[in-house]
Amino acid sequence: MPVFQAYCGRQPPRFVNQAELEVAKLLDFYGIRWEYEPRSFVLETDDEGRVIEAAKPDFYLPDQDLYVEITTMKQSLVTRKNRKIRKLRERYPDVKVKLFYRRDIERLAEKYGLSLAS
Amino acid sequence: MHLTSADIQARVGELGARITEDYAGKEPLLVGVLRASYVFLADLSRAVPIPHRLDLVSLAGYGRALGGHAGVRIMKDLDAPIAGRDVVIVDLVVDTGLTLNYLLTALRLRDPASLAVCSLLDRPYRRLVEDLPLRYVGFTVPDEFFVGYGFDLDGLYRGLPDIHSLNK
Repeated sequence: MPVFQAYCGRQPPRFVNQAELEVAKLLDFYGIRWEYEPRSFVLETDDEGRVIEAAKPDFYLPDQDLYVEITTMKQSLVTRKNRKIRKLRERYPDVKVKLFYRRDIERLAEKYGLSLAS
Repeated sequence: MHLTSADIQARVGELGARITEDYAGKEPLLVGVLRASYVFLADLSRAVPIPHRLDLVSLAGYGRALGGHAGVRIMKDLDAPIAGRDVVIVDLVVDTGLTLNYLLTALRLRDPASLAVCSLLDRPYRRLVEDLPLRYVGFTVPDEFFVGYGFDLDGLYRGLPDIHSLNK
């Protein structure tokens, strides 16, 4: 795991795929302060107040006050994730969240020479 | 073809007119970001009839960093101080805003009188850095790969007068 200079979270990040790691390295290179999964947003609770659906965006950029969710799923499989992000925006209208699709990540990889192979 | 030479020239003329109006009575410094912006900078400069100066800057971005550098850095710096000057950064396209944000941060430390950005193309849906002083934008474009008018494919085709969309 690289040593990150712009990471400002408390716990060491535990990325679930190569795309997340590469985006973290990219942010770090440009000196953009970032956190990894710092907050869960409750989207749905049952009658007794138990959380039945939540969203935890991958990155938070404090200087931009922006949450970024990375998905490497194929476009045809992202409907569920899209719905979740839409719900998050509805429930938390003051929260800025951006979803980066596989195509966006591939474009970043092209532009910045990222290695997306797992 | 995505944008013809005529489309581009018409829009560059409009951008030049706006810059001319906004900086009337001043002597702005247009700073081109190498390498892609060189064609746009030349055309924009000719569309700004008020006295202005030109300079160039080049940055080693991610994937182009040499010698194991851990961060972005300026490869070719400005030739003159910018303290008290009205600076317009001229770029060909803004997408994530990462490089531009770095450049703006570096230039702000030099106390310019003002700092604005003029970009021919914009991809705002790919932005990771939002608060950029992007005052002049030519066209908002889709997420396609372009060649021509400064855009290259493996270093080639920058000199084409039109902007072509390629399916890589």
